[in-house]
Amino acid sequence: MNPRGRRQYLALLRKDLRLEFRTRETVVAMGLFSLVIIILFEFTVGERIGNTTPIAGGIIWATLALGAVLGVGRTWVPEREQRVLDAILIAPVSRLVMMAARTTALVIFLLGVQVVVVPLAVVFFVNGTSAVNLLLIAGVCLLADACIGIMGALLSSMSVFSRTRELVLPVLLLPSLIPVVITAGGATDAVLNPSRQMAEYRGYCLFLAVYAVIFALVAYATFDYILDD
Amino acid sequence: MTPDEETLVDARGVVRSFGERRAVDRVDLRVRPGERVAVVGPNGAGKTTLLRMLATLLRPEAGTLYIAGAAIPKQSQVARAHIGYLGHDPAVYLDLTAQQNLELFCDLYGVPDARERIATALAGVGLLARTHDPVRTFSRGMAQRLGIARLTLHAPRLLLLDEPYTGLDTQGARILDELLGDLGEREAVVLVTHELDRALDLAGEVVVMRSGRVAARRVTAGVPLARFRTDYQELTA
Repeated sequence: MNPRGRRQYLALLRKDLRLEFRTRETVVAMGLFSLVIIILFEFTVGERIGNTTPIAGGIIWATLALGAVLGVGRTWVPEREQRVLDAILIAPVSRLVMMAARTTALVIFLLGVQVVVVPLAVVFFVNGTSAVNLLLIAGVCLLADACIGIMGALLSSMSVFSRTRELVLPVLLLPSLIPVVITAGGATDAVLNPSRQMAEYRGYCLFLAVYAVIFALVAYATFDYILDD
Repeated sequence: MTPDEETLVDARGVVRSFGERRAVDRVDLRVRPGERVAVVGPNGAGKTTLLRMLATLLRPEAGTLYIAGAAIPKQSQVARAHIGYLGHDPAVYLDLTAQQNLELFCDLYGVPDARERIATALAGVGLLARTHDPVRTFSRGMAQRLGIARLTLHAPRLLLLDEPYTGLDTQGARILDELLGDLGEREAVVLVTHELDRALDLAGEVVVMRSGRVAARRVTAGVPLARFRTDYQELTA
């Protein structure tokens, strides 16, 4: 990224973070929604199964993916509602810089939610774990969030001009996140279950990194055309 | 066609449809530095669609369009650096302060000495005392004045204005008049408006649109408003 692109990227990212800091709409909504899903899982599954540790990874990532849909849905909302979209699109900013800033903002929002939700889910669904395990899960979160952030920025930008974007976005986003959820769930499961090997964790993380690269390539190839009429 | 880099708008036979309806139908428009062009016409005449194409927000389906010598849509990003666009809305974030909004656009346009430029722009629209207030606390007129400050930050050569007086208070309208009056021979303005008197006051040429086409072009010098109004009614009837 050239110095001008870097300045634009930082400006767009700072704007997203400032708006979120001021309104607290996205992170709070995602966090509350995720907590509600965890409580639902606890009552519907946790109450019936004695040991939920083997399925904790799946529960955590299903929860986080659903919460992420809510956050991605909020993307471009200030621009649309406050009618700033034209002014942003007319600025001489590469669409890739816009996507990079959006992706980073989404990753930061997702991490903000996960800092609270993941430990809470571990408390609810896992029979004993260590700080090291939580750090390993943080690594999974970073990789999975990169995938979600890239796809989220791409698909929310694709649907920004659609009148049915509230319907279109989850329908497009959730299926595209299935491999991410499965892999991140597998990696989390490899950490939480003592019977699993670290090699499995590394394999899943490698898959997530490959997904992130593939998603980034797809975004790189398409993003320049998406926001241009 | 060879683009003339001096010509800020060079549109030839541009077409844009929405579904079956042609909103802009084979329109030609040339705007050179120093020119002020007003586009008038009844609702649905295609004025805003034409302006949005000039602003690179809509791609022409047919015809050729060059903005400041850059081919649209291929070189849109080059053209955008020269464009200042103000619509009905101020296009600023309500939850950011005036300063934060202008900082953002300074960064997006690569404006040097941003702080000084922002202070000058805010003073110019009478909002210096509200620099650190969120725009949400502004009146509609004040927000629109901030939109004018945003418009001028990067010193655009081509100002595209779509009913910019909408929502402006008297002070804001005066500021915009002064801004347009102070523009030099390097800059050009394309103003879309319903107000014939304003079009006549501000523009050297008026383009009358009807049903997506240019119905007439009139040089405004020495034309009395009453005659222009009659002429306009006949053209758009």
